[in-house]
Amino acid sequence: MLRDITLGQYYNTKSVIHDLDPRTKILGTMVYMVSLFAFNSFWTYLIAFAALCTVIVLSKVPVRFMLRGMKAIFLFLTITVLYNLFLTQGDTIFSFWIFNVTIQGLKQAILMFFRLTFLVVGTSILTLTTTPSNLTDGLESLMHPLKWIRIPVAEIAMMMSIALRFIPVLTEETDKIMRAQKARGADFDNKNLFKRIKSYVPILVPLFISAFRRANDLATAMEARAYRGGDGRTKMKPLKYKAGDWIAYTSMLLYGITALAITVLINFQTFMLKA
Amino acid sequence: MNKLVKTQDVTYEYVRRDDDGNVENIVTAVDDVSISIEDGQMVAIIGHNGSGKSTLAKHLNALLTPTEGTVWVDGIDTSDESRVWDIRQKAGMVLQNPDNQIVGQVVEEDVGFGCENLGIKTEEIWERVVDALKSVDMYEYRGSSPNKLSGGQKQRVSIAGIIAMKPKCIILDEPTAMLDPKGRKEVIDAITRLNKEENVTIILITHNMEEIIGVDRIFVMDKGKLVMEGTPREVFSEVDKLTELGLTVPEATLIGKKLYDSGLPISLPVLTKEELVSEIGRARLSKFR
Repeated sequence: MLRDITLGQYYNTKSVIHDLDPRTKILGTMVYMVSLFAFNSFWTYLIAFAALCTVIVLSKVPVRFMLRGMKAIFLFLTITVLYNLFLTQGDTIFSFWIFNVTIQGLKQAILMFFRLTFLVVGTSILTLTTTPSNLTDGLESLMHPLKWIRIPVAEIAMMMSIALRFIPVLTEETDKIMRAQKARGADFDNKNLFKRIKSYVPILVPLFISAFRRANDLATAMEARAYRGGDGRTKMKPLKYKAGDWIAYTSMLLYGITALAITVLINFQTFMLKA
Repeated sequence: MNKLVKTQDVTYEYVRRDDDGNVENIVTAVDDVSISIEDGQMVAIIGHNGSGKSTLAKHLNALLTPTEGTVWVDGIDTSDESRVWDIRQKAGMVLQNPDNQIVGQVVEEDVGFGCENLGIKTEEIWERVVDALKSVDMYEYRGSSPNKLSGGQKQRVSIAGIIAMKPKCIILDEPTAMLDPKGRKEVIDAITRLNKEENVTIILITHNMEEIIGVDRIFVMDKGKLVMEGTPREVFSEVDKLTELGLTVPEATLIGKKLYDSGLPISLPVLTKEELVSEIGRARLSKFR
């Protein structure tokens, strides 16, 4: 089905990963994240890398899109790596000025680098292959048990999806107001930061007023269409697991078991060596 | 024919209160209005801004309940709170701003929204959505984002969303006010077709007189009161009274009236351009005879 959603970072193409149920993808991402923190030996990271590569290839999304997320955390990544490299205590390899580079530090730095990279790339696959509305549906379904502690899950999901629907509308509106204020001599390019922030007030005030007016209209329209909260609503597009999802779950399980087995084996080995 | 929508002595007051909860002033938006609309009709409610026509419209699907008087929709009293959802299913409403009434992120999802609220089964929702989109000629846009549609297309999607709920009547509150002429024509054509082919009762609230030439009945409101009622021919024959109420008349009607006043013996009122042309032709012939 054609869905031209310009929002978020969804990459529109057809692939087995795109076809997966959003719940599968969300749970898969969680399993992957947990595995990166729980298992940190060389061999488990090799498996994690292999798994990541397989999913990337299957998703048909160009790798540069995946690496886009890396830009955002570049500074964070550098600081973390340098911190671990220079400030870990242990057996020194070489030292200069006040810094000691140790074997443990080097290992830790490399581990951190790969952990963060895998995390960012792994989670971006989720958002690259799932439309925002699908993601909302998936979250709603996964959070369903929270209804027992009286969290209005369906309503929260409705709010999220309405927010997504209105982002482009409000963006357009902001643009319009900005042009209108410019036409009346507003100055948005002032070098003085304080003045520039102040110049945004005449944009925000009308934007808020119009947003409230829209909200009021929308509420009327929804009520007129018999909306009465999440209870008793049926789904036009209910989530359904397909064969692919079971394959994905099986692979996830296999991945988890392999990583666990390797970790146990390595720990057993060290234990035996010590004994 | 039975009366689908009926109001009896309906009065609605907006009460404004100050910070202490004391009544500051009362505005009577609808004042003692009794109208009845028959099943399958296409009617129009006209009046200038603040005449109470939108407030009256909100009574017809229980968004508001009257301060005094009674409104029945398909025999159900709208002040009966337990039947509110039945009424909203029977009487759908389309609002003025096309952007503010679309809930879904994809056209087909929005059309299905009302059905989801009614608790209809998935397979049937899809059948209804497909039928509804086809009936307003928007089927090919089912997968696109509402943000990419023109105003007229968005309004037709909103209408489809109502049709999918299978209502007996659709109330349209100035659906064309924010559209360009092309969008207006699309919307008016769509609702006219629904009325003729699917026999859906249409209640059209509007400013634009050209849109209502073809309706079965017109209600004219002023300051909350119902001041005129009749077929387009009856209502538009009183050009002076309408002008006094701050309303215009269709162009052809106005020209016809002016020609008549300046001595051309044509029969009033004239509603369409074609009628005007043939009337002028006839009048000239009779003059020369």
